[in-house]
Amino acid sequence: MLGYYLHLALKSFRRNPGLTAVMVGAIALGIAVCVVTLTVYHAMSGNPIWWKNDRLYAVTMDLWDPQKPANPRHPELPPAQMSYNDATAIAASGIPERSVVMFREEGVVTGGSAQRKPLPAATRMTTADFFSMFEVPFLYGSGWNAAADSAPEPLIVLSKKENERLFGGVNSVGRTLRWNDQPFRVVGVLDDWFPVPKFFDVTTGAFGRPEDVYIPLRWGMRLELAPNGGSTDCWALQEIHSYRDFLNSDCVWLQMWVELPSAASRARMQSFMDAYWADQHRAGRFLRPRNNRLTPVDQWLIDNDVVDNDNRVFVGMACAFLAVCLINTVGILLARFLGRAPVTGVRRALGASRRDVFVQHLVEVGAVAIAGACCGLLLAVVGLWGLHALYAAPERGGYQELAHFDNASILWAIALAAASAAAAGLYPAWRIGRMPPAAYLKSQ
Amino acid sequence: MLTMHNISKIYRTDLIETHALRNFSVEVSAGEFVAVSGPSGSGKTTFLNVAGLLEEFESGTYRLEDQDVSRLSDDARSRLRNEKIGFIFQSFNLIPDLNVYDNVDVPLRYRRLKSADRHERITSALELVGLGSRVKHMPAQLSGGQQQRVAIARAIAGDPAFLLADEPTGNLDSLMARQVMDLLEQINEMGTTIILVTHDPELARRAQRNIHVIDGQISDFKFYEPRPAPPPLAGANVSAL
Amino acid sequence: MGWNIRPIMSALLRNRTGAVLVAVQIAIALAVLVNAIYIVHQRIEKMRSPTGVDWPNQFWVQSEGFTSRFKAEPSMREDLRYLRSLDGVVDATPANSVPMGWSNQSTYLFTNPNQKGAQLNVSFYAMDEHGLNTLGAHLIAGRAFRADEILPPLQAQNATEFVPEVIVTQSLAKLLFPGQSALGKVVYDDAGKAATIIGIINDVIAPSWSVIQGWNHVMLIPRTASMYGIGYLVRTLPGRRDAVMSEVEQHLAASNPERVIQEVKSLEFFRTLLYREDRNMEVFLVTVTLLVVTICCVGIFGLATFNVSTRTKQIGTRRAVGGRRLDIIRYFMVENALITTAGIIVGCALALAVGYWLSLRYQLPRLDLYYLVGGILVLWFVGQLASWQPARRAAAVPPSVATRTV
Repeated sequence: MLGYYLHLALKSFRRNPGLTAVMVGAIALGIAVCVVTLTVYHAMSGNPIWWKNDRLYAVTMDLWDPQKPANPRHPELPPAQMSYNDATAIAASGIPERSVVMFREEGVVTGGSAQRKPLPAATRMTTADFFSMFEVPFLYGSGWNAAADSAPEPLIVLSKKENERLFGGVNSVGRTLRWNDQPFRVVGVLDDWFPVPKFFDVTTGAFGRPEDVYIPLRWGMRLELAPNGGSTDCWALQEIHSYRDFLNSDCVWLQMWVELPSAASRARMQSFMDAYWADQHRAGRFLRPRNNRLTPVDQWLIDNDVVDNDNRVFVGMACAFLAVCLINTVGILLARFLGRAPVTGVRRALGASRRDVFVQHLVEVGAVAIAGACCGLLLAVVGLWGLHALYAAPERGGYQELAHFDNASILWAIALAAASAAAAGLYPAWRIGRMPPAAYLKSQ
Repeated sequence: MLTMHNISKIYRTDLIETHALRNFSVEVSAGEFVAVSGPSGSGKTTFLNVAGLLEEFESGTYRLEDQDVSRLSDDARSRLRNEKIGFIFQSFNLIPDLNVYDNVDVPLRYRRLKSADRHERITSALELVGLGSRVKHMPAQLSGGQQQRVAIARAIAGDPAFLLADEPTGNLDSLMARQVMDLLEQINEMGTTIILVTHDPELARRAQRNIHVIDGQISDFKFYEPRPAPPPLAGANVSAL
Repeated sequence: MGWNIRPIMSALLRNRTGAVLVAVQIAIALAVLVNAIYIVHQRIEKMRSPTGVDWPNQFWVQSEGFTSRFKAEPSMREDLRYLRSLDGVVDATPANSVPMGWSNQSTYLFTNPNQKGAQLNVSFYAMDEHGLNTLGAHLIAGRAFRADEILPPLQAQNATEFVPEVIVTQSLAKLLFPGQSALGKVVYDDAGKAATIIGIINDVIAPSWSVIQGWNHVMLIPRTASMYGIGYLVRTLPGRRDAVMSEVEQHLAASNPERVIQEVKSLEFFRTLLYREDRNMEVFLVTVTLLVVTICCVGIFGLATFNVSTRTKQIGTRRAVGGRRLDIIRYFMVENALITTAGIIVGCALALAVGYWLSLRYQLPRLDLYYLVGGILVLWFVGQLASWQPARRAAAVPPSVATRTV
């Protein structure tokens, strides 16, 4: 029976190809625009480590100026980074299963076998747990272990791209190279890894590439490096004349994350932080109201305004456009079906039940929706590819990996097609099905 | 086979109530060829709609082949129309973008018959009406008489309990009209009940029985002796139609 | 026959569905059109705001010393000597950041030493005595820095050392000292250290991070910063920028093995990036709006055509009893106008509601009624245009249709 209805639908399309093209075209455009904007929105607001959302927490404490909040846009939030002493103290609690303290640095790498000149390299100074906490995949070797955190060694991990630049992509574990003219030994090379957004450090651009070089944090302390390439914020009343002063100050410049596997460990972490805060408060620090937070990734992205308001406008407009397309289609279908009422009357007289008529017309609508969805998907691919091309150039803040076509896009397209078919077709099909058989028969 | 007893059908609008049928009773036996005739506005169209299960009625009973079909759901009525009634309309009502074969196919599709079964019925129906060679033609390529014959094929393909013909020759010239009436008589002789609704008394005379309707009621009915077929027109070539 | 709106209206109301569908499309189209123009206009205004610098002819060089043998000050001196000597270069200055650039340094400024009262987050450009000329800014009052006033770079993290003199932009001066001349006044940082305002320049745009936050307050300080790397802002003669850029990149990369040139980027590049979001929004909104209005147009056309085709008998009858072609056209145009007007009325409410919501969400000024009026006119015109052809086709229906039975 469905085959029969499909056959009838195709005949109907052939009879009025212009109108059919308008319907399919309108739906295709509406779906394409929606799929593109939704893909970008989903990519930009999604949680790239969603499976660990109940385990990973950003650690923040409010040590800021009692006169004004750290973030005027979100005055209820503490600063997004930690000071050195606070981070060290919290990490030393032993409560979290894993913890990471890190900052970003700009460095220059020399000595690779395949490179000819010194290369600037975005670097992350971090403790060892970074790789396991964020499930960073390795191509060769591995990260360093916790021992290298306390008694730091000049070890280095390279990104896949950096390894290709420096060593032509071979297994470079064990080789040495020079970072800022200091010798380091390669212990690992990462595989492709580009979490979008860059949730673990939003201060340097939420959609930038992860760093190319990773070095133990304590070694960076040894070299007395301040975050050049990251963001440092200090508030008032601090005399800083040496590196030691800087470490002891209330300047915030470190990102800190902990992994807490259960609600119990989370509660213990919170009480530890609160107890530490109380101690420090008695000693004269932490002049603002207590605001110690453990923030999971999805909330972190919201707090840090990672989701672009503009994207919401895009999605809203796309929906409005699709709505107009669908309403248009409903109108066309209604006109078409009702215009065919005499023929439908004959079919009813010959024995078609209301359901038969309804299903027949629903099949016609479904065919239009599927055709529209397929064309829409193709258009969306073209659109996303166009976005790619538009945004390809700059590295920092570029949308390169962003607007790519993945399973989510296909799911959106299918869902939209089904919803469109239902929205556009149910009413006209029902209307024509309800028609009494005698109404349009050309009897006397 | 078909019994209507005291049927009353009222059309109501906001202001007016029209009694289209009043205490209408009729009985048709299997194999009969009955005409229902009357002037315009007499209620014969309403009778057609009611007999053909196209409309419901306010009071009375309607029995079809020993089944009470007075108060059935829309779905049940559709089923019955499909299985028991063969319609033939004045303006043929073929579906314009289906070919002859597909047009005859329509009611069989709704009966969910298998493809081989449908094919057999369609081809034998078209053979019977003399259009076996025009299977692929579109209605627009056929003359009025041929179109009506396709419609007849469509009506008989499903072996209905009776044919319900609404002014079947109204849009045909006299030659084609005669051919169609001959065909209907032929089908009736093969055992199919036919109810013919018409305002033309000449046409009504070709039936065995004529029920005359005025103002929604039966005024009288006549029985006719089976008349010999009128002589063919000189020089007419039947198969050219 | 006059305009006869009432019978047309009642005929319309009896057969509503098609009309309602079209009216809803018009309503949505109006809301989309009005708000799209609104948003686009805001963005264009934002992009057109003057930068205050000669950005088409400027570029930024970032140098990174990475060995222990690297000496910042001599390297800087040599680089600047080279840059200023180049043919095609107007001037060059060391800089910690550049207008619309990615790095940003800022501090809080107060008008009293106790951090009470007005405080502003201010981005600062640390430049030498060539700074003004390289920026292309001009003095409105006071003077520029002298060579002997330029302080050496901060060592380590001396975040608390302030400078004795600063130059501020005009609007910053007005904000700090409203109603008076800011020249000679003293400002304080958040550690209570004082600086005198010795010069006021035209408004200069801040680095991109500040601009995005909505803070466009800028001051110049007389220091050659090198704590976070060394940077130079170079200004060239018109048309010479690209050639000079590649020459500079080549020379500087090779001239000193103790350092790398991290990047050489024009200010035009930064500007494009800064406004990229806005450009995209513009393109997207214009495209989608055009599409929506087109689809709406098609819908109106379709409904009008359908109405004509189902009413040929009626049209024929009207003509048969004496109606002229013009009367038929008028009938259908009036019918369409009624539908369009209904849609526009609903659309106005929708447009204003969406506009209000947008202004709340994005802290934008309220929707100007000009946009609404403009949108209404456009859609009304489009609506009438779309129904013109079907109305003409209706008028072509011959009166003989009235007597046909088939």
